[in-house]
Formats: sequence, C-alpha cells, structure tokens
Amino acid sequence: MRKIYSVALNTFRESAREKLFYLVIIYAMVLLVSVFILSPLSVGAAKGKIVTDVGLAGISILGILTAIIVGSNLVHKEVDKKAVLMVLARPVSRAEYLVGKFAGVALSLAVLIGIMTAVLAVMMLLGGAALTPAVFLAVGLSLVEIGLIIAVMIFFSTFTTPLLTSFFTICIFVAGTLSGDLRLFAQKFGGKAMNYVTDVLYFILPNLKVFNLRHEAVHGLRYSASEILLPAAYGVVYTCAMLYFAWLVFRRREFS
Amino acid sequence: MQRGGTMEVLQVDGVKKSFRGDMSFASREVLHGVSFSAGAGEILGFLGPNGAGKTTTIKIILGLLRPDSGSVQIFGKPLADRSVMKRVGYLPENPYIYPHLTLSEFLRFCADLSDVPANVAASRVREVSSLLGLEEHANRRTKGFSKGMLQRAGLAQAILDEPDLLILDEPFSGLDPIGRKTVKDILLDLKGRGKTIFFSSHILPDMEALCDRACIIKDGAVIRTVGLAEVFRIGEGMVEITARGCPVSELDPVSGYMDSVAVNGEEIFLVVRKRELVRTVVQHLYNSGAEVLNVSNHHPSLEEVFMSEINGKITEERESAGIQHYAGHATGGGER
Ligand SMILES: Nc1ncnc2c1ncn2[C@@H]1O[C@H](COP(=O)(O)OP(=O)(O)OP(=O)(O)O)[C@@H](O)[C@H]1O
Ligand SMILES: [Mg+2]
Repeated sequence: MRKIYSVALNTFRESAREKLFYLVIIYAMVLLVSVFILSPLSVGAAKGKIVTDVGLAGISILGILTAIIVGSNLVHKEVDKKAVLMVLARPVSRAEYLVGKFAGVALSLAVLIGIMTAVLAVMMLLGGAALTPAVFLAVGLSLVEIGLIIAVMIFFSTFTTPLLTSFFTICIFVAGTLSGDLRLFAQKFGGKAMNYVTDVLYFILPNLKVFNLRHEAVHGLRYSASEILLPAAYGVVYTCAMLYFAWLVFRRREFS
Repeated sequence: MQRGGTMEVLQVDGVKKSFRGDMSFASREVLHGVSFSAGAGEILGFLGPNGAGKTTTIKIILGLLRPDSGSVQIFGKPLADRSVMKRVGYLPENPYIYPHLTLSEFLRFCADLSDVPANVAASRVREVSSLLGLEEHANRRTKGFSKGMLQRAGLAQAILDEPDLLILDEPFSGLDPIGRKTVKDILLDLKGRGKTIFFSSHILPDMEALCDRACIIKDGAVIRTVGLAEVFRIGEGMVEITARGCPVSELDPVSGYMDSVAVNGEEIFLVVRKRELVRTVVQHLYNSGAEVLNVSNHHPSLEEVFMSEINGKITEERESAGIQHYAGHATGGGER
C-alpha cells in the first residue's frame, strides 16, 4: 500500500508541476467568467442555467482532454527514459506500479476538477442558480468517467506509443459516447449483421452515456439513486478490468 | 564456478538471450550461455568491450529482461521471488532521475519503494546525499543536474538501503577524479562490511584497484574469470627496465633474456625474464651508450590480461581468423 501511495504521489507531483495543469485551470476560469459576462440578455434563473450548463460540460471536456494529454505519456515516458528501471528493480511488483500510476493521474484530475468545480460554484451563486446536490453528483460521475478513460489509457500505454495511445483513447471515448445511440439506430434501421456488430461494440466498449447527469442537474429534473449508483459501480468495474488487462501486458514486458 | 560449497550471493547459470530485430522476425543471440557467480563479501568486476553484453546480463539479473534459457539466483532464490530485491541495490547505466523532483524527494521516493522504515528514511536520505557530496544540492530539482551529479544521485539511490548485493552498471562513468575516489572508498567500505559488489566498467585501473576477481565477457560469452592475485602472479620475478639513447638493434645479443621489448619515441621498455639476468642486461645497455632511467619489479596490469584475452591469446579455442595477436605482455609496460 505504501508503495502504491509513493508511486501515486510521485506521479501526482509530476503532473502538478506541469504548466499544462495551470493552463487548464486558467482556461476554465476564463471560460466561465466570459459565459457569465456574455449572457447579460438573460437574467435570473435562465442565466444561472446557462452558466451551469456550460460549466458542467466544460469541466467534463477539459477534464477528459487533460487526462488524455497527461496520461498518454504516462507509462511510455518512464519506460522510454528508463526511469522505470530503478523503480522495478526494487521490491515493487508491476501491479503496484500500474495501480500507483493510475491513482496518481486520477488524483491529479480529481484536484483539477475540484478546483474547476469550486470556480463554477462561485459563478453559479453569483448568477443566482441553486447549488443542488445534482450538480455535484454530475461532477462526481464525470470523475468516474475520467477514471475509466485513464485506465483505458494506461492499458494502451503499456504497449504502444503516446500518439497511438491518445488516438485509440479518443476513438474509444467517441465510440463509447455514441455506442448506445448507434445500437438503437441499428435496431431500428439496420440488418441482422449490422445489429450484431453494434451489439458487440455496445458490450465491449464502455458505455459513457451513463455518466452524464448534466441535463438533470441543469434543469433540476428528478433522478433516482440507481441512476447514480449503477453508473458508479459500472465505472469502477470497467476501470478495474482495464487495469487488469494492462497488468497482463505489463507483467510480461521487458525493459531494454 | 561453485567455490567452497557455500551459498553464492549471485549465481548466473547458462543465461542465453536473443533480441528480435526491429523490422524482421529474425532474432540475434547476444548472450550465449553466460555463467559466473559472486560470493559474500566479494567484489566481482565485469569486464568486456562495448556491446559484449554486460548491460544485458545485468538487466537479466535484475529481472528487467527475461532470459531465453538459463537461470539466475540471488541469495539462493530464483528471480521470480521479488522480495529478494529488498537486499539488492542497482545503478543502471546512465541513470535517469525524475527531473521534476528534488534530490531529497527522489531519494525519499526510492526509500519508500524499498521499504526503508519511515522513521529512518529521512536520515538515510541525508546520509547518502552527503556521502556522495550532494548535500548542497539536496533541495534542488534534479532537472539542472550535470552528468556527474546524476551519476552520484544514481549511486546514492543504489546504496540507500544498505544492500547486501550491489549491482552497478558502469559506476565510474561521468565522474571526476574526486568522485571516482569517493565511490571507490564507498565500495571498499561496503566490502569491508561483508557486502557483495558486482560492477561493470571500462576503466581498468579502477577495476584493478577494487576487484577480487574479474569476469571477462566478449561477444556474449564469458571467456575467463581471473583472480586479481593471479594476474599479479603472472609476471612474478620479472623486472622492468626503462632506458634511453640506444637503438633497439643494439639489444640483439641479450634479446633472449627478454620477455618483451617496447619502444616509445626515445625510450625503450624492457621486461627481463629473471632477476638474475638484470645485471647482464643493464651492463649491456651501458656498454651500448644507453642511459638507464628505471629498474623495477614488473606487474602485468589487468589491462594487459584483458587485451590478450580479448585478442584471443590465451583462449586458443576461441581464436578466430583476422584478430590481431598480441605478443606476450609487450604493451603497456611504460604506462605504469
Ligand atoms: N533491445 C535490444 N534490441 C536489439 N539488440 C540489443 C538490444 N539491447 C542490446 N542489444 C544488443 O546486445 C548486445 C549487447 O549489448 P549490451 O548493451 O549488453 O552491451 P554492453 O556490454 O553493456 O556494452 P557497453 O559497454 O557499450 O555498455 C549489443 O550487440 C546490442 O546491440
Ligand atoms: Mg552497457
């Protein structure tokens, strides 16, 4: 546990000391403030809704982009630069190393999203919107989604280059966001083969749509506990599975 | 290789390794059955020309590469048992130290990974930093470190946990003379406390000053393991003479007494086979009008042994066409 914590802390320090991290925070602030200022036509509740809507979407997108930029380099850089030699020649298992790396990036993203959420909360209060629990739950589910994306990325980065890792991850993100719709579309209009393909895709790819609670949060719609708990459990299971596959590749790896 | 029946600290048996080419599926074997061992409290040098397979062997010992066949045992345990790594310190060649960390942060990270108890970790980190002369840089990011400083930092993390077995890939590379002296002293101190050290190096005098034995590897095969004491015995009883001002042709009458003759500009270096013959040779030199500069006992250096091994003098079975053969200990006498 201490070793996982050490690897995670080191990874967190690495990303927290990157300029990108601060650029994202500044960008998020600029985005939110400009939405706040540029929506003078609407007042009161409507203004609050626009700020909430843009804010939640922005947090999710910026979080995923940052995760992809920071995470794609993750394992590859350490193997490439041979930093990994001094780590793995210690009494550290490869599983501990991978889980530590995952936890470090996830922690960095959690801090980033925490800061962006705090900024959003201030804007929402200024804009007269209600800070409902749904807003925070929506952010929480975004974080679970980002965790899953990070795990996917760690899997790819155990055997391919940063460029391909980010490419594959973006593909999976896009396909995972659309797979539900594609399946419905195929069920309505497609043939049998098409149906089969979209079914397979639907079950293999992560279904990222389930992590989207933003609509409910913005419009104050009703949602059930299972709409939170099921996606959260699904995200955790999928993340663990990806880390397991990453370990299957990584434990066989050689470092020359 | 098993000596004396005691358990070896490091035992490498018939290790073979091939690498696949980048483009083709054809693979090239770079280690052809490497075997050697090191006992407790011993310093074993790993000597070989560039590309001989030293780094590859070391990485296999640490489990960073998998051997195709053969086995490695550390403290009698197979490689799969990672817990044994707690007793091993490793310095990779050209160590990469996380540039975003300060030296203390980096060493603390290493200490945590090596299970150094939290209450002693901080003091151990300070201790090894000052041992390697880095105390002033402890709170600097390693991003701005020079090559020699990085090498020192790498050594610091290797000895951090007082390992019983230290495996160093070119520990002297990039170090200034003071750094080399420091590292030598550290290694000798560790040896004095019963630790085993296995290191590769190109710097033969350093190796000579430190090792109990040297394992010579060439083209992926160990061609000889020599004890340093044995190296010194090779030239026992021989005497070295340095003279000036006499053409080599004048030496013909006494050439039978000589083990080797080398010329360097004005100076001639002679190695006389037996102490009893020295008087005759010196007399002859004076009579030929030469000036005798130095007469001393002859010790062949590890370098000479290395050169003759690498060039295939002693291992006749490995002789291959096209390799230049060295005559005796002809070279190097004057470099001492
Ligand atoms: N990843 C790799 N893929 C292909 N060939 C490799 C790989 N790593 C090493 N080799 C080859 O294996 C041989 C031994 O390399 P190694 O690095 O072990 O040599 P070395 O003795 O450490 O040399 P040096 O003194 O230069 O450090 C070389 O011929 C090298 O080209
Ligand atoms: Mg090497």
